[in-house]
Amino acid sequence: MSDTTMTATTTKPPATSTRRSSMTGWVLHNVVWIWLIALVVIFGLFNQYFFTLFNLQNIMVQATVLGMIALAMSLPLLVAEIDLSIPANVGFSSALGAMANTDLGLPFALAALIGIGAATLIGFFNAICITKLKMVSLIQTLSMMIILQGALLALTQGRTITSLSPGYVWIGQTTLSGWPLMPIVFVLAILGMYVLLRHTVLGRSIFAVGGNQVASNSAGIRVDRVKILSYTIAGFLAGVAGYLLASWQMAITSNQGSSYLLYAIAAPIIGGVSVFGGRGSVIGVLGGVLLLTVIQVGLAIISVPSFYVGMIGGIMIFIAVAIDAVRVRYFG
Amino acid sequence: MTTAPTFRLEASPAARTVLRVENLGKIYGGLVALRDVDLSVRAGTIHGLLGENGAGKSTLVGIMSGQRKPTSGTIYLDEKPLAHVDVQAMEKAGVFLVTQEPMIIDHLSAAENLMLGIWPKRRFGFVNWRKLRQDAERMLKGTGIAADARAGALDAVARRKINILRAMFSGGKVIILDEPTAALTVDDRAQLFDFMRRLKSEGVTFIFISHFNDEILEICDAVSVLRDGRYAGGSEDVGSLTSEDLSELVLGRGLVLFEREKRQFSAGAPAVILKDIRSGTLDVPSLAIRAGEIVGVTGLPGGGGKELARALFGLQRASSGTITFVDGEARTLPAHPAEAFADGIAYLSDDRRKDGSISQMSIAENISLSAEVALARGAFMNAEQERALSQRYFQSLGIKAPNSEVAVDTLSGGNQQKVCLGRVLATKPKLLMLDEPTRGIDVGVKQDVLRIVDELSRTGVSVIIISTDTDELVRAVDRVLIFHNGRIREELAGEAISRSRLRNLG
Ligand SMILES: Nc1ncnc2c1ncn2[C@@H]1O[C@H](COP(=O)(O)OP(=O)(O)OP(=O)(O)O)[C@@H](O)[C@H]1O
Ligand SMILES: [Mg+2]
Repeated sequence: MSDTTMTATTTKPPATSTRRSSMTGWVLHNVVWIWLIALVVIFGLFNQYFFTLFNLQNIMVQATVLGMIALAMSLPLLVAEIDLSIPANVGFSSALGAMANTDLGLPFALAALIGIGAATLIGFFNAICITKLKMVSLIQTLSMMIILQGALLALTQGRTITSLSPGYVWIGQTTLSGWPLMPIVFVLAILGMYVLLRHTVLGRSIFAVGGNQVASNSAGIRVDRVKILSYTIAGFLAGVAGYLLASWQMAITSNQGSSYLLYAIAAPIIGGVSVFGGRGSVIGVLGGVLLLTVIQVGLAIISVPSFYVGMIGGIMIFIAVAIDAVRVRYFG
Repeated sequence: MTTAPTFRLEASPAARTVLRVENLGKIYGGLVALRDVDLSVRAGTIHGLLGENGAGKSTLVGIMSGQRKPTSGTIYLDEKPLAHVDVQAMEKAGVFLVTQEPMIIDHLSAAENLMLGIWPKRRFGFVNWRKLRQDAERMLKGTGIAADARAGALDAVARRKINILRAMFSGGKVIILDEPTAALTVDDRAQLFDFMRRLKSEGVTFIFISHFNDEILEICDAVSVLRDGRYAGGSEDVGSLTSEDLSELVLGRGLVLFEREKRQFSAGAPAVILKDIRSGTLDVPSLAIRAGEIVGVTGLPGGGGKELARALFGLQRASSGTITFVDGEARTLPAHPAEAFADGIAYLSDDRRKDGSISQMSIAENISLSAEVALARGAFMNAEQERALSQRYFQSLGIKAPNSEVAVDTLSGGNQQKVCLGRVLATKPKLLMLDEPTRGIDVGVKQDVLRIVDELSRTGVSVIIISTDTDELVRAVDRVLIFHNGRIREELAGEAISRSRLRNLG
C-alpha cells in the first residue's frame, strides 16, 4: 500500500454463511432428552420390568408431584430470584388442608382449597418481602423455609396424619382402566405454564425481567408486579402439589415435602432454566423432571443397594448439569 | 497491507510495527464477522479504525487484546507471533483494551474498578490499599468522580471514564480504545485527546475506533477501514484525507448528509405544554413544544436535560409538574414508564447496556416489548401484530442480523442501539424523547435515524433530542435548549444554532 492513496477493495454483500455446526448443536440442545432415553434403555437392559406398563404408570405418578414443584420453582428462577421455601410450603399447606379435612371435618373440596389458598398467600407474602421490603430472596425464602418446616411440626405435633376422607384422596388414588388420574393434573399444569410463558404478556414480561430488570422497567414493565405474580403463581402450584402429595400418599408426615428441595431445584436447571434468570422453557423443565424421576425409579428397580442410590443418583445429575454447562458455553 | 508500510521521515520512532495481524478470521456460529484481515500498526502512532456498525471493529480489537479467540490467523507483537493469546497475557505484554460497553463491577468502588487487575501489591500478594487509594485519587483528579463512589451508582459517562483511565494509566504500550468518545462531552473529549497526544509523545501506540470522521482527522496518524468483515482500505497519511473520503471508504459509496428543513414554529398552537417541572435540582417553570417540532436539549452532564426527560417518563420522581397534550387536560407526570407509554410519552435512554435492551431476547421480542401491552388482547399477546410491527422496524432501521429472531447480545453495538430505537418508535408516541439517539451509530445509519425522526415529526409527533453531538443538533433540530444547573439557560433557534455556539457550553 502506498503512502497517501487509499486502497479500496470490493466487498460482497453481508457476511452470512453456513448454518452452525448443526449436529452437535442439536445434540447439546436436546441433551436432557437424549440422556433420558439413554437411561431408560440402560435401566431396561438391567431389568426388563422397567419397560412394563405398570412401571411407566409409576413413573408418571412419581413425576407428578416433583413436576408440580419444579414448575413452581422455575417461576422465581425465571425472574432472576429464587424461592427456597417452596418444598416447605408444599409440606405445610399439605398438612393444613389435610387437617382441615380430618380434624375440623370440613368437606374435602373446601379443605383442599384452604391448603392451596394458604400456599398461594405464602408465595404472595414472599414476593411482598422481596419487592417492597427489598429483602434478598435467597435469605428471605430460606428463613421462610425454616419457619414453614417448624410450623408443620407444630401443626402435626410430630404425628403422622392418616384417616383422610375418601374424597380427599380421590384424585391420588383413582385409576381409569388401570391408568392413574393424578398425572392429568401435571399435564394440565404444563399446558397452563406453556400458555402463560409463551402467549401472555405476563409470560413475556417474566423473561424480560429475568433478563434485565432495569431495562424492563424502562420498557414499561412493572417489574414488582411481575415478580409478585410469579411468586404467587409459584405458591399456588406448591399448594396444588401439596394437595396431590397428601392425596397420593394418604398420609402427612412431619417432614412432608422437605425431601423435594434439591430435586426441585435440580430439575429446572437440568432442563435449561438459567439461575441468572430470563432463560428456560416448560418443555425443558418437563425433561428435567422425567430425567430425575427415571433415575430414582430406575435405581430402585435394578436394586442398587440403598447405600449407593444417593451417590449414583447424584453422579447422574452431575453429568446432566455438566453437559448442560457445555451447551451454554458453546451455544448460549 | 501485506507489504511493510512505507516509512515516513517525520515519524522516525514510528517506523517499527508494534502490532500486526495476519489472515485473521472470526466466525460466530454461522456468521463470518472477519475474514482474511491483515493490518499493521506502527509504534508511536494513533491508528484509527473505521467501519459501519457490524463491520467487525470490536471483534478485531477484541481478538488483538485477547478478549475473543480468532477462528484463524496470527497476531504478531513486535513482529513475534503470539502462540497463546488471552487478556492477562496481553495486558502483561502491554496491550490494553477499553471495550465499547463499560466493563464495570457494580458493587466495587470507583477506585477499585480503576485498579482492577493492576492493583498495587505488597509482598505475598496482598493489595496495598493505601497506595491504591492514593493512585486512584490522583487518576480521578478533575474528573468529578469520587474515589469511593459505588461504581453501580455512577452514570454512563463516569463508568466509561473509569475504563478509559484504567487503560491510560496502565503503563501499557498499546492502548486500544473502542468508541471512547461515544459517551463523552466536548470537554472530556478534548482532555482525552490531550492525554493521548502526551502518551503518544512518550511512545505509546493507540488504536482508536470512532464513528466521527472529524475525530479521526483530528487525532489519527493512520487509518484502516473494515467493511463487512474485510479490510476495505486505509491510509498512512490521514492529513491528506477529507471527511468525505472517510465516509466513502466506510460506506463504499458517497454519503449524503441529512439536513432537516428547519421550520419556524413561532406560530401554531403548542402540542405539549409542560408546567412547573421540579425534580431535584431540575426546575422548568414552563415549556411548550409544538406538533412536529424537534427540540434539541444540550448542556453539561447533570445540567438537567436528561433529568427532565426522565421525570417526564416516570423514571425519576418529580416533586411537582404537569403535562398537557393539546387534546387533553393537564395531568401530573407519570409515576412509571408504563403510564408514560400509555399517555404517549416515550423515552430512549443513552445507556443501552444497562437500560436499553433485554440482551438474551430476540430482536423481534425487544422491538415489540414496549408496544406489547397496547397490542394485547386481554392477558394474551397479539403475536401476529407484534411480528408485523417488529418486522417493520427491523427493516426500516436496517438492523444488520441474519433475521429478527437472533438474540440482541449477538449484535454489534450500533445495531443494538437501533433495536432500542425501534422499541420506542413502535409505541407510536406523541412526545418522543431520545437521549443520544445516534451514539455508537455509524455515519450512514446516523443519517437514516435522523431522517426517520424527521419523518416522524412530520406526522405531528413532538420530539426532544438530548444530545452532546453538536453536528447532530445543527443539522437536525428546530430549536436548542441549553440547560445549566437544572434550568434552561438559553434558547437558540434558526441560524443561532451554530457549531461554535454549541462547542462552548461551560
Ligand atoms: N458474540 C457474538 N455472537 C454472534 N455474533 C456476533 C457476536 N459478536 C459480534 N457478532 C457479529 O459480528 C459482527 C461484527 O460485530 P462487531 O461488534 O465486531 O461490529 P463493530 O464493527 O464493532 O460494530 P459497531 O460499530 O456497531 O460497534 C456483527 O454482525 C455482529 O452481529
Ligand atoms: Mg463495536
